[in-house]
Amino acid sequence: MKRSIAICFICMAIMLLTGCWDRRETNDLAIITGVALDKTEEGLIELTVEIHSPGGSGNRSEMGGDSGGGKNKTILQTGKGVSLADAMEDLDEKLSRQMLWSHAEAIVISKAFAETGIRDELDFFVRHPEPRLRSYIFISDGKAKEIIALRPSLERSSSEVLIKLAESEVLMKVTLFDLMEMLKGESGTSVLPMVAKSPREQGKAVLETVSYINRSAVLKQGKMIGSINDQLTRGVLWFRNEIKESIVTVKPEEADGYISMDILKGRTVLIPEMDGHRLKMTVKIEMIDDVIQNQTDWNLKELEKLQMLEAALAQKIEQRLTDTLEIVQKELKADIVGFADEFRRKYPEKWKKEKADWEERFATVEVTFDIEAEVLRTGRGSAPQ
Amino acid sequence: MRVFYRKRVKLKKNNRDQHNDAQHLKPLYSDLEQNLEMLHMLYDDCSDVVFRSFLIAGKTKAQLIYIKGMANIEEMDSNVLTPLMNNAEYSAINAKSLIEQKLSVAEVTKLESFNACIEQLSIGNPILLLENEQQGYALGLAKWEKRSIEEPTGELVVRGPREGFTETVEVNTSLLRRKIRSPQLKMKSLKLGRYTQTTIILAYIEDLANETLLEEMTQRLSRIDIDGILESGYIEELIQDHSYSPFPQVLITERPDTAVSSLLEGRVVLIIDGTPFALIAPTTFFALFQSAEDHYHNFMISTATRWLRYLFCLISLLLPSLYVAIITYHQEMVPTTLLLTMIDSREVVPFPALIEALLMEITFEGLREAGLRLPKQVGAAVSIVGALVIGQAAVDAGLVSDHMVMVVAITGIASFTVPRYNLAIPIRMLRFPIMLLAGTFGLVGIMTGLLAIMTHLSTLRSFGVPYLTPIAPMKGKDMKDTLIRAPLWKLNTRPHFTGDYNEYRQAADQKPDFDKGGEE
Amino acid sequence: MIEKGKISALQMGILMYHAILATGILFIPASVYDAAKQDIWLSPIWASPVGFLCIFIAYKLNKLYPEDTIIQYSQRILGTFLGKTLGLILLLMLVTSLSVMFWQYGEFVVSEFLPHTPKFVIIGMMILLCASAVHGGLEVVGRLAGMVFPIFFLLFLVIIVLLLPDIEIKRMLPIMENGMMPSLKGSLVLYTWFAQFGIVYFFLPFLTNREKAMKFGMLSVLVVMLTLVLTNIVVIWIFGNVTENFNAPFMSASRYISIAEFLSHLESLVMAIWIAGTFIKLCAFYYTVVLGTAEWLNLSDYRPLVLPLGLVIGVFSLKAFLNSSEAAEHFEIVSKGFMDTLVYGLAIPMLLLLAAYIRKLIVRHKGESEK
Repeated sequence: MKRSIAICFICMAIMLLTGCWDRRETNDLAIITGVALDKTEEGLIELTVEIHSPGGSGNRSEMGGDSGGGKNKTILQTGKGVSLADAMEDLDEKLSRQMLWSHAEAIVISKAFAETGIRDELDFFVRHPEPRLRSYIFISDGKAKEIIALRPSLERSSSEVLIKLAESEVLMKVTLFDLMEMLKGESGTSVLPMVAKSPREQGKAVLETVSYINRSAVLKQGKMIGSINDQLTRGVLWFRNEIKESIVTVKPEEADGYISMDILKGRTVLIPEMDGHRLKMTVKIEMIDDVIQNQTDWNLKELEKLQMLEAALAQKIEQRLTDTLEIVQKELKADIVGFADEFRRKYPEKWKKEKADWEERFATVEVTFDIEAEVLRTGRGSAPQ
Repeated sequence: MRVFYRKRVKLKKNNRDQHNDAQHLKPLYSDLEQNLEMLHMLYDDCSDVVFRSFLIAGKTKAQLIYIKGMANIEEMDSNVLTPLMNNAEYSAINAKSLIEQKLSVAEVTKLESFNACIEQLSIGNPILLLENEQQGYALGLAKWEKRSIEEPTGELVVRGPREGFTETVEVNTSLLRRKIRSPQLKMKSLKLGRYTQTTIILAYIEDLANETLLEEMTQRLSRIDIDGILESGYIEELIQDHSYSPFPQVLITERPDTAVSSLLEGRVVLIIDGTPFALIAPTTFFALFQSAEDHYHNFMISTATRWLRYLFCLISLLLPSLYVAIITYHQEMVPTTLLLTMIDSREVVPFPALIEALLMEITFEGLREAGLRLPKQVGAAVSIVGALVIGQAAVDAGLVSDHMVMVVAITGIASFTVPRYNLAIPIRMLRFPIMLLAGTFGLVGIMTGLLAIMTHLSTLRSFGVPYLTPIAPMKGKDMKDTLIRAPLWKLNTRPHFTGDYNEYRQAADQKPDFDKGGEE
Repeated sequence: MIEKGKISALQMGILMYHAILATGILFIPASVYDAAKQDIWLSPIWASPVGFLCIFIAYKLNKLYPEDTIIQYSQRILGTFLGKTLGLILLLMLVTSLSVMFWQYGEFVVSEFLPHTPKFVIIGMMILLCASAVHGGLEVVGRLAGMVFPIFFLLFLVIIVLLLPDIEIKRMLPIMENGMMPSLKGSLVLYTWFAQFGIVYFFLPFLTNREKAMKFGMLSVLVVMLTLVLTNIVVIWIFGNVTENFNAPFMSASRYISIAEFLSHLESLVMAIWIAGTFIKLCAFYYTVVLGTAEWLNLSDYRPLVLPLGLVIGVFSLKAFLNSSEAAEHFEIVSKGFMDTLVYGLAIPMLLLLAAYIRKLIVRHKGESEK
């Protein structure tokens, strides 16, 4: 027994005397909430991080008072280097605290950066144990630093704005993991949301504006080659079976106004078909909608009218998808709609031959649509106002 | 070393035996004077022993001896002294007929040795010595101040009997006997303690309690040779299997219903004179989580409360450590918004989180201990002062963070959900080493600490029964009263300890189902 | 017999479950992915026969020599000298294997959670912990296994349930893109894991209900296989072709969990169950080493050996590999299916069983000829 007491004592002594090798007190941490990546003119990487500044210093009660006001409590710091890790070291020198990357949930990459390729630098985020796989990735129209430097009035920080924007799923939502998967995918293309600053209102400070997502960037082999607007983005979302929220406004042929509908549920199934050398793809869409506005004099309780509306809706979606395909297949030649993976899954043997010149072959895929639209409810008031 | 130790023990035993023999194992003399001389010598300087000499019917010399405050004086006057002294027709000097005819006392015991005299006197019974008699008589007229039966304060229940054991062994045995009327409830009596000569009752139910368990228990009790036994804790420490363990290996209870339910499960109950706490053996870790009323409430509610207790036991063991580990090692686990507020509140705290936690936990333990010792009138005030003022002031002074205060408060409350105080204490104690581990290795340390505790628990046994039964070793049948509290009509079997046992405790298939049969 | 305690067949099954799976659950998906790609979930099925075979051979040997462990019956079968030599080889292999396991534990904890903590502290702590359990004997180890198992399994299932919102079954398609070969190649890695079932020969003599040993042994292999299939399939459903980017995909998957913002980053849960499982695994192997050594030396008690052997293993495990590339080379060889576990788990018992049958045959032959 004496021996075990001695062992316990030695263990305690070892622990207490030498211990706490990996301890990181929160007081010594700089919590990074957002990251912006830019390329300088000399070709260096400019890493800007948004750091939460703990407001607890001294006067606590005062802090409690205006916490509801959305007071901005972040600071920015920039480092430069030849690689991301190099830039980080530069950044480290400028910071009094250790950086904590695990809460960097928004990563903004500038367009200029994306055009030179993001694959190499992405490696850092994957390899480093801290950043989250669920961080959202954005491409900024201008400098990424400007996006992250904004001081929004509604949210606590600009990165929070970005996160909320992505989570609303109106347009693209791409996490670090999604991006990795897209980069590894068969087609080698990826699509990322693009953010821009909304124009400044009069009487407000330069930074007091918000960013918003309006376009989507298209990348091939990790390099940005172009972008598509919001309508086309929704089309891409339809193809990718990622549509969550969309308001579609149609004008049925015999009607005198527009009817708007909100999507309750949309589901897309891609059915590939290889017929000799010809590639065919059937896009099967089922959607359930809900009327939210009716400008016409139609009474939507009439079954006939409702069917006409459904037909118009299906046609509208088909039109939009055709438009999207036009751009994607002919102009960008980037398979961001996920056809490659479908072909691989269905025809693993034949696919090996097709894979080599998929870029060319993608443009030749014949697409047929099979859209089934259903209007489930017609809102609370059914008669025209 | 060991041999030497044995020898010493033997030596001691001899001493003790001599001590016994020399003094009072002698039989009584037939001469009253000699007897009195002996007793006077034994009770030299004992001012509380009263020797009252009188003449029976004015002829025979007699002596009544009793201890002040332990005998019923009124009864002695009216039922012993009056009939004996006033009996004019008394002629025959026959003690037997005298007692049969004149003494209106229910319990009269013959005494043949000084040893017996002392024993009876010490219980409070007056003894009557007559001239030319080689026997004395102990009269069952003991009466001393005892506490009445009250509700046990340590084990409160919402539903269930409100009576608790008292300090008097006779009262306690009567409480048991009132619940188990069967003569199969056996109560063996033995006396322990060289000076205190404390009565210990070994209660068990014949055929339910395992023979080997009984033997083991008797053997362990007989090994005890100690000056005095003041509380059940003395016995507990001397009979438990593993001395170097903070965990209780014997269950203690103040409640007769708990004792009875244990008896019915085939356990053995030890009732010790002078304390309201009875010992129950064997016990298992999970039995310590059961409260008496688990079987009185609806089984679903009892199951839920039981799980609540398990959960809060874990919280009370781990919460401060988890907080320390997460805030110093695993910040990435905290959702962003929460982390930011935590950081804001911790920003002004000058200590590392571990020190902060230790500081608060030790303060809390001190507060709890103080609360126990303080006079009742001050107690409430101090706990309010402690909880509110110290907590709030510490936060305001920037010594600890808000979150830490909350963690400590929750931990404090959690430790009181464990129904047994003697289990709650080791859990509280073990919190500190785990906190140190958490402060050094983060979650890895916590896990290591937990595994160490689990290893320790699996090596424990209580009277041969593995401490973690029925979880490890697994006994599926017994889990119905551990993981859940199964409905009463499902609890058909007794928990199994070791060896053969009387398996079924009730008739099978008693689920109330009134469609099955009944009226016509 | 040196060991006084007994365990039930169920406890033995659970002990074996942990002894195989604990470390595997983290590393198997990544190491199998190299060869099997999206078919990694098929590989455990191909590899499991090795486990069944190991159990079967150990059981047969135990039938012949019910009271002995392998160290003892190897001497009975092959004679004292050869038997002792074989026993020594076996023990040396077990010590090496155990050291590598401790190294793996230390390496993973250090690389994943505590990068600045010296490894000897982590390993030393674990060795002390295991030593205290092994000192308690087989009963304690068995009980601990029984206690850890439900927690292990429950948390494992909880993690899988929490991952459900993120799964995409499409990611496992096409099944068997390149035929059976990739998944069969992947199963090579798993042989080493399943061959570890061989160490059951150290536990069989101490069972309370030996007639059920076969049943629970086989059940254990089956459950290990199912758990691995489940792990691999979930990993592939979550990560698809990105799996190869992670060292411990299951851990990364739990890191990926995000439910209602609050339940996120649950890798600590995985780490908790992993440490608990690894603890049991290490205890099981540590125990076999200690018991085997005691039996090999004909000691009457194995307890005095616990700490000295712990020290030896600690030193071995700290010096197991000079650097990570040496370790990588070692595990590269392992992934091709050459591993000491196959030798001590399968080859040696098989040899012994064969020898025992031949011996029996000779004895019978002799008996007949004498008649």
